[in-house]
Amino acid sequence: MTLATSEASRTRATGASLRLAILLFVADPQWLVPSTVAPIVFGLVSFELFRGEGPYFLTYAILGAGMMSMWGQTLYGSGWATGQDRNLGTLEPTIQAPTPYLYVVLGRIIWNVVAGLFGGLVVYLVVVLAAGGPPQLPNPLLFVVLFVFVMVTLASVGVVFAAAFVYSRYAGFIQNVGEFAFYIGTGCMFPVVLLPFWTNPIALLFPPTWALDALRYVSIPGYAGFGWGWGWDLAGAVAVTGVYAAIAGTVFTRVERHVLETGDLSDY
Amino acid sequence: MATPIATAYRPAFWRTFWTNAILAPRTSLGFMRLDFVLGTVFIIPLTQMVFFAFVVQLGNGGSALIEFTAVGNAVATVTYSSVFSVCQTTDTEKQQGTMEHLLVSPANRFALYLGRGLIPILISFATVCVGLAYAAFLFHVPIPLSTIPGLAISVVLTALAMVGFGLLLGGVALYLRTSIILGNIFLFIGLLLSGVNFPVSNLPLPLQYIGDALPLTWGLAAIRGAIAGDSLGTLGYLWGAVALSGIVSVGLAMGLWGFFERRALATGSIARF
Repeated sequence: MTLATSEASRTRATGASLRLAILLFVADPQWLVPSTVAPIVFGLVSFELFRGEGPYFLTYAILGAGMMSMWGQTLYGSGWATGQDRNLGTLEPTIQAPTPYLYVVLGRIIWNVVAGLFGGLVVYLVVVLAAGGPPQLPNPLLFVVLFVFVMVTLASVGVVFAAAFVYSRYAGFIQNVGEFAFYIGTGCMFPVVLLPFWTNPIALLFPPTWALDALRYVSIPGYAGFGWGWGWDLAGAVAVTGVYAAIAGTVFTRVERHVLETGDLSDY
Repeated sequence: MATPIATAYRPAFWRTFWTNAILAPRTSLGFMRLDFVLGTVFIIPLTQMVFFAFVVQLGNGGSALIEFTAVGNAVATVTYSSVFSVCQTTDTEKQQGTMEHLLVSPANRFALYLGRGLIPILISFATVCVGLAYAAFLFHVPIPLSTIPGLAISVVLTALAMVGFGLLLGGVALYLRTSIILGNIFLFIGLLLSGVNFPVSNLPLPLQYIGDALPLTWGLAAIRGAIAGDSLGTLGYLWGAVALSGIVSVGLAMGLWGFFERRALATGSIARF
């Protein structure tokens, strides 16, 4: 009998985590409700507020609501799972296992991305039904590709939140109370350039800000976002997403080392 | 000599009320940590109002609509503390395994639930007051000093009615696996059906009827009426509607709890719902 290599162990841990996330979702799919109810309401309210302003305002409403839905599923799902680990007492055994905790989180993130896309689709259908037709998209294929990319950038924020949940129980506070601040800061329903100029550099610290700007450039003719255009938006999104992944990896490594040295996770 | 049989012990109404008022925020109410409470009172109203103000600005809604949404969202944020927090009491009792003990206790149910609502009522009141202060100072909503008494009555009644509605949802949640779904639905549905961001008359008629069943619709109408300086007759009608919606909510909540309690005693399985 041969011992499994570390790569195999990590892949297996991610696979098992993904499988467990799917099983938990199927057993209790209620999480889809919170991640769709609010975005549907926000989408319909925005559609009403944009009524009569032109065909492309429907795109604003759908993009914003879709992003909110994905935020709900990806960030809440990822962060909340770590909080649950802490509450149920499974965080310590998971962290002291040979496989790095990051690979367990990765499995959850993958499922949350898929579920978030599903939630986004539900929101899209409801808003389109209320509007009486789909939005006009100059380049539907590019739109879909970029939409998935927005999802990936959100997932990167989700990984950082999951790391923050390991590091501090106050991450839940930021996640809940800061929800609207995140919507404003990333310009999910309106261009960030509408905000005071001094807020723009802060907004650019979030990967979805870049990705959403790119998405609007390709889906709304005449869109006036950041002056550098959607190509640089994409480059910025990739760069900031990479930084987020690096931060998350560093935090997880640091916490794991601390736990192994002190044998105590209660400090965090 | 035979030992006398002890009479059934029934804690006094006010003892039950105050015990629950003081302990519930630490035990069964959701999101009652100090940081969450401060965030609910000071941060959420501001960010929600700013968010919708920019949405209106993008849609070329003008300053009148921005003022409309500012007042609407200032009041709508009351839902976090009054509905979302209160309706989670049922979940918490089930998760902590205290539901069975609660059901067999001789405590007066009305005092028990009313007591649990006291802190959320105070937080709801504070949330609306802070939200309206933001509306006045940041969004330039004119609130004349002469309207303050009427506004204060409207805000207090709204907070009471909304907590009553939260208790009602907590009663419904007794039958469900979790109250998260209900809490989320009613946390946000008011934004659409209660005239928070646009007049209720913009909605299709069936949705207007649903909106009329929500205390937030009447509370918001009373607060808008008070700010606009409506006559006492008009405000009296709206206050009556807010109070009625609160009384009906609490009445239905008590009825539901009574029904599910009887069912639980008959089957012994309420914790499995």
